[in-house]
Amino acid sequence: MDDLSTYSFPVRHKKFSVHIKESKVDIVICSYDDQFLVMATQIGTMGTIMHARKEEGMLNTPTFNVSVIFGKRDEPMLLACARQLIEHISISGSLKPLTLSLGLKDHSMEILKGIVSAVIENRLW
Amino acid sequence: MDFDPHASTIESSSADGIVHEVQNLGINEESSTNITCFSDVFNDIPIHFQIICFPKQIYAWIGCQTARFGSLYAAASTRPNNIVSVTSLLGGTSDNTGSGIARRIVLKTGVPVTLACNIPKDSPMLEAHVEKKLIQKLIFLGYTKSKPQAVTS
Repeated sequence: MDDLSTYSFPVRHKKFSVHIKESKVDIVICSYDDQFLVMATQIGTMGTIMHARKEEGMLNTPTFNVSVIFGKRDEPMLLACARQLIEHISISGSLKPLTLSLGLKDHSMEILKGIVSAVIENRLW
Repeated sequence: MDFDPHASTIESSSADGIVHEVQNLGINEESSTNITCFSDVFNDIPIHFQIICFPKQIYAWIGCQTARFGSLYAAASTRPNNIVSVTSLLGGTSDNTGSGIARRIVLKTGVPVTLACNIPKDSPMLEAHVEKKLIQKLIFLGYTKSKPQAVTS
């Protein structure tokens, strides 16, 4: 029988809320073996889901692939948010890709910057 | 930033295996997002479940032996007639193991579902077991779809 006292769930996660522009944003960050998952929502759903990864390349400057896999494809600020986070993940030394979901009623720069700051402050990488 | 405190409750072993349940008890009254994590064993294979409940959607992850993210599926009731549609968002093998689970969770709960799982393909018994465990937990968490009214002519 396994030692139950040493059992720990294999996926680390953090859940917290931030208030930006008088609006509450619920944020969840999960770290899987091969991926990070970040979810931020104001509307009670996951919203638009994006995938971001660092591309293999020969150049010194890293390049990243960021794409929408579900939801709004005409909101470049959402992609910019994913781009900032994957770059931060890369700078931190992790090669894991990122799946980011943003369920927002306000796509303003202030909200997105606030989300990026809050996620970085509470990062699992 | 304060961490949400975790408390572990360990149930006694059941005929189906050892189930360890770790629940996020740090849920404040204002939180609308709940996270439930638990593990099970099926034929000596550790299975891990993570359920994140949003007010209008469910995200679930099923990990078979490892904590790899696996393939990601989205399922929801769509027009016409609110039939349940499912699509693969990330990964997805040719038989889309997990897409059936996602679709049936929507049928059971009536809530849009995003499901990630790394269940190996060609394991129908395992797939059935994890689906049963997941749905049991969702019912425990309060997700039940109201039965449709009987149609009278």
